[in-house]
Amino acid sequence: MKRLSLARLSLVLGGLCAAVGVITLVALATGPSDVGWSQVAGIFLGDESDVDAATRDIVLRVRGPRVVLGLLVGAALATAGAVFQALLRNPLADPYVLGVSGGAALAGISVLALGTTFALPTSSVPMAAFAGGLLATGLLYWVSGGRGRSSPTGLLLTGVVFNAFASAGIVFLASVAGFFEGSRIFLWLIGHLSAVEIDAVGVVATSVALGLATAFLLSRSLNLLALGDESALHLGVPVESHRRWLLLATSLMVGAAVAVSGLIGFVGLIVPHSLRLVIGSDHRLLLPAAALTGAGFLVLSDTVARTVLDGRELPVGAVTAIVGGPLFIYLLRRAQARGPLA
Amino acid sequence: MPRSGPATMMGRPRRPDRARSAPSPDRPRPVALPHRASGREAPLVPPSGSSPRLDRSRAPVRVLIALLSLLLGAPALATATSEGPAESLPRLISLNPSLTAILVRLGAASTLVGVDDYSAQVVPEVAGLPRVGGLFDPSLEAVVALDPDRVLLVAGVDQEGHAVRLRRAGVEVDVYANERLWQVFENIDRLGALVGREARAETRIREIRAMQAAVAAATAARPRPTAIAVVDRSPLYLVGRGTFLDEMLEAVGAENLVRGLAPGYPRGSVEWLIAARPELVLDMTPGASAARSFWGRWPSLPAVANDRVLTVEASRVSMPGPDLDEAIRELAILVHGEAIAAEIDAALSSAATPAGERAR
Repeated sequence: MKRLSLARLSLVLGGLCAAVGVITLVALATGPSDVGWSQVAGIFLGDESDVDAATRDIVLRVRGPRVVLGLLVGAALATAGAVFQALLRNPLADPYVLGVSGGAALAGISVLALGTTFALPTSSVPMAAFAGGLLATGLLYWVSGGRGRSSPTGLLLTGVVFNAFASAGIVFLASVAGFFEGSRIFLWLIGHLSAVEIDAVGVVATSVALGLATAFLLSRSLNLLALGDESALHLGVPVESHRRWLLLATSLMVGAAVAVSGLIGFVGLIVPHSLRLVIGSDHRLLLPAAALTGAGFLVLSDTVARTVLDGRELPVGAVTAIVGGPLFIYLLRRAQARGPLA
Repeated sequence: MPRSGPATMMGRPRRPDRARSAPSPDRPRPVALPHRASGREAPLVPPSGSSPRLDRSRAPVRVLIALLSLLLGAPALATATSEGPAESLPRLISLNPSLTAILVRLGAASTLVGVDDYSAQVVPEVAGLPRVGGLFDPSLEAVVALDPDRVLLVAGVDQEGHAVRLRRAGVEVDVYANERLWQVFENIDRLGALVGREARAETRIREIRAMQAAVAAATAARPRPTAIAVVDRSPLYLVGRGTFLDEMLEAVGAENLVRGLAPGYPRGSVEWLIAARPELVLDMTPGASAARSFWGRWPSLPAVANDRVLTVEASRVSMPGPDLDEAIRELAILVHGEAIAAEIDAALSSAATPAGERAR
């Protein structure tokens, strides 16, 4: 592991911050309508001479919320992926591996599918999903805190089984749902940012901030946990409590992300893995870098998703999967060529 | 048996997004889910022991019951005998509300021995008939058990595969199309011939054409409002070109802005919609109060600013069925205001009078 100097840290993170800033501006100035740089600059610099109400709506109420939530969701997913891969010592772990997505999706889709019957508003879907994610996290906490010590394998199995259970429930709900609910469930399973509301930003930002802060604070422990529980214990890491804090905090932010955007795949896999190849696997640098890269990657993907078909929308989950799948296979091949997969 | 029957040769692409996003326009709103689910499962599927052969052995009993109800004057059967002999009528199962509605309108409800769930929801006359499942998930077993002479369905969505399966099971299948206005006329004509109601079918087609002409005449001099028709608000699905509803908008003198965007029922973006500045929004998503709060958030839309967001129940204007004249008239009034009703009626009667004089 390369030594982490302050200069290296600030160089990498500073560069990434600049890139995310540029991507954010490009995303705000790009879209299916012809609202572009001059109008965006006008709105933000207070010169609204050639800005009408529709243009303001497009920049501040359509593109704005999507960019902000895209940044938050991308940061959450990429960081959670990096944390889970280290915590479970499994390179294929992703933000959804521990069943958080399953819980959130099952609860959210229950409301989607049965909402018409019980006259629940569509706006209650994210709330239900968030609650479902929290419940799944609680279940995980309970399982991992039961008699004896939690092992990465035990956690992984709990997550896999819970996700399998949840997807069975989702299939059931999707098959009894009507047409309108069906199309929403479908979009939700791919993951999209087209229905985000600005009022969701508060809850999501708080959850993501808590998750990121916990992960950054415990990043040194994560370095040692990745070596194995015994080594970490010998090096003075309170393995059980740190692991549990990391699980809870990351699950909280993944729950919030799933609640607003559905199941966007691959961000939590390719972002941490690509970064490890470039900047190494010191989590003190890797975690903040993953948060920034994930944020930029998702906003860029969403910009593609909403512009590539010119007025029609692609779900962003389709874009991340199209980019992510091949990239991930390439990374795997490259890692295998170097030696057995760590 | 070849894998592709005539239905698959219609060549409708079966992309998942389209299958989900593009219902036949007559797709009714799903009203009560548990109702739908139980409607599919409860009375339709016969007990596991029954088979078509057993069913046929009960045919004499059925004839007896039919005769009895004729004698007792059961209303549905009574109308059936008003035109043509009853014994020559085929036993039909309709898997599409628009076809069901056409048959009922032509006075041939008695030919139906079973319908799909949606027909039962939107065509009250057939609510009591055995149901054979939904538009996307019809039950092969329930259809075969009813022993129909012919099954009528509309190409598209998953119905093509169902047609193939039914033919394999030895059931005759007629495939119809109803994506365009002219196809609806053709359907009325074909169904009229099938049940021996050619005269009624012809009258119906003539009346619809007359209304079309009258509405065209009444709207010709009016400004054409730019419009967007919404099938679902969230996610946003719009009515694009090459669809039945696009033709309906054209017929009442509204300009469908989504034409330029895509064919079929594209998923549009809110940004595109705001930039397109429609003067009229036709929202067919179920739930009128949700519509108000959704559109109220975009006051920069001319349609919202001028209170021109119209919530319409989809089955009223988008059913490619036998009452298109009513639907066109209703849509014209929605788009142009109540004042146009008198002009339409005037155009209708002025068109009817010379024809009447010629007849004399």
